[in-house]
Amino acid sequence: MSVANALFYLLAALTVVAAAGVVLLRNPIANVLSLLFAFFCLATIYLLAGFQFLAATQILVYAGAIMVLFLFVIMLLNLAPGPKAPKLEEVGLPMFLRRKSGVTVVIAAALLLLGASAILGTQSTGVEAAGAMPREGIDAIRPTPGTNDGLAAEMFGRYLLPFEAVSMLLLATAVAVVVLAKRNRPGDRSA
Amino acid sequence: MNDFAAKVGLTGEQLEHLLAILVRNTVILIGIISVAAVMTLVERKVSAWMQFRHGPNRVGPWGLLQPLADGVKFIFKEVVVPNGANKALYVLAPALAAVPAMMTIAVIPFANDVVLFGKNWGPLVVADIDIGILYLLAIGSMSVYGVILAGWASNSKYSLLGGLRASAQMISYELSMILAILAVVAMAGSINLREIVESQAHGGSIADWNFWKQPLACFLLLVASFAETNRHPFDFAECEPELVAGFNTEYSAMKWAIFFIGEYSAMAVMSSLSVILFFGGWSIPFLPDAPWYLGFAAFLAKTSVYLFLFVWVRWTLPRFRFDQLMRIGWKVMLPLALVNLLATGAWLTFFGPPGAP
Amino acid sequence: MVIVKRKELSLSERLYVPEIVRGLSITFRKMFEKKITRQYPEEPLVKTEVTRGQPRLVVKDDGAIACVSCGLCEAACPAYAITIDGGETDRPIEREPKRFDIDMLRCILCGFCEEACPKDAIFMSDELELADYSRQALVYDIEKLKRPAAAMRRRIEYVNRINDRWRDAPRPPMLVGRDAPHGAHAHSPAAAAQRPHAS
Repeated sequence: MSVANALFYLLAALTVVAAAGVVLLRNPIANVLSLLFAFFCLATIYLLAGFQFLAATQILVYAGAIMVLFLFVIMLLNLAPGPKAPKLEEVGLPMFLRRKSGVTVVIAAALLLLGASAILGTQSTGVEAAGAMPREGIDAIRPTPGTNDGLAAEMFGRYLLPFEAVSMLLLATAVAVVVLAKRNRPGDRSA
Repeated sequence: MNDFAAKVGLTGEQLEHLLAILVRNTVILIGIISVAAVMTLVERKVSAWMQFRHGPNRVGPWGLLQPLADGVKFIFKEVVVPNGANKALYVLAPALAAVPAMMTIAVIPFANDVVLFGKNWGPLVVADIDIGILYLLAIGSMSVYGVILAGWASNSKYSLLGGLRASAQMISYELSMILAILAVVAMAGSINLREIVESQAHGGSIADWNFWKQPLACFLLLVASFAETNRHPFDFAECEPELVAGFNTEYSAMKWAIFFIGEYSAMAVMSSLSVILFFGGWSIPFLPDAPWYLGFAAFLAKTSVYLFLFVWVRWTLPRFRFDQLMRIGWKVMLPLALVNLLATGAWLTFFGPPGAP
Repeated sequence: MVIVKRKELSLSERLYVPEIVRGLSITFRKMFEKKITRQYPEEPLVKTEVTRGQPRLVVKDDGAIACVSCGLCEAACPAYAITIDGGETDRPIEREPKRFDIDMLRCILCGFCEEACPKDAIFMSDELELADYSRQALVYDIEKLKRPAAAMRRRIEYVNRINDRWRDAPRPPMLVGRDAPHGAHAHSPAAAAQRPHAS
């Protein structure tokens, strides 16, 4: 295993841990900071893979602007740590079996499958098309040198389908957030 | 040396290369901290002169050792952590404020290829990477975390307000700053800082400096860098009459000093960036083939002028009001930067890049 | 009520930049002007006769101090800085202080002791510097307080001159108590002058 590969697995693990921290920690500021840490790990992974431009953009846009905005909002609202999440027994399994939830689960699973198949499919054909040896870990996605042009060509050529799948995921997340954050006013039947 | 290299399993050339990197990085890191220290003295001296005073002149000749005395004082002072503060973040915040400024210095090219002991050691820059400006902006945008977390973790309303103001201000002016820089990048056709300098240096005359081609962008970047570094006239993060001292109200001793090392380092980086983008970096007018040390001296001289400008403006202008700051940022700076970028793009489209025959 | 009209700003003033440049040029020019700070330890303070420094006991030409330990200064001192133990002496003045301490850390340099002294024994000198390593060292006794009259001449002459001015001034009529015109309830000299022989 090369040094780059070892670093990649370390960073990947750290990213997952930080991402879990975003969901599991109950102090909003800690959530934001672990998300920030996850972004940094991701940016380093991009760097390892040779996408300098992408790494810089990741930090500039996400860590530098969006997360600051998050922090800003949290501080303005002065959020206290949230209540404990209800345990599965309290909610009951039927929540997942209700009709509306069922539709959601099906759509989410379909999106996940679509994204996964897009990534997996593209990768195998891509590697075969390049006529390269099967590569492991970070080496598998290392692009040809020439960072910015190479990035554009890869993103809007070979990886177009995964790219669009990810944007679908973002869209779905945005819709979900709107639904979750929507207040139920009296007389409002939709929910 | 070759024997030692063989022992650690490297060739002599590799070891030499490694040592060169180590020396260069150490020198530059120590250099930036010294600049921060000297700037504290310059700030006090210049402010004193502008107010008919002498400034510090007790420690060493002309007070030159004052930063050293201050440093010793800060180290020996007591660190007070306020009640109810988030201790981890409180300790982390000064580092978060200072480290980005020191990281960004890595991509600043100070001089052309260094020739020493009859060998070319490459340009005087820690990391000559292709995405220089992007890296600088990306890491530079991190420094807002130090300020905002310091404000939040202190558990004090003054600190919190200072931190919120600083973050709002930095986000607002980052846009104009990046757009102003983009115009230069479009002209130079590169985001590698060394290449941008070389695009201004090849002719060997002042006329090649980007300042003459992009005066508006230069001005916008200047104003934006005042705002980005929380300096007068935009220093709302530490607006004394309203917020005691802003985000660093609750800080003491070395933690407090680190904020200022960060501020002055950021100033040095912004000055270097402006010099590189608009005033030809290390190039000396009419001396296109000057040796690297002259170029380095020229770079330092130009940067010093810029740094002096920072101090000069601070002790001349009154502070804006916060709504004025936001009005200038969004209603004046941003449209101007957009128009400038648009005009630059149109010019490049119709007349081609400036260097083309 | 005052209505302040806002000044109508011209275009160049509203653009900020020309005005900023003007301000910058002013501060730049002022940088090279003469500094007004006095470099204190090297450049001594200008001391005049009205300089009211630390109190000192004047040593007369015969080598003794004039104090008779009457305690008036002790009583006048608002900071309770003066402590006097009196005693007898064979000198013609018959009494002299056995102990005369001024705690310089308490002294507020008000000069009441100088005003109170009936024997012109204590005067405010022009010494202003006061520093030591312990509090006890700053409680000055007679020996530390002694200062030759020659060194205090300017202050002594000044105080005498001021006192002479009061001595020569016509004494204002006392309007309460014994001297007041009988039955009159005048409260000011002007009122008293208007009705000198009321009743």
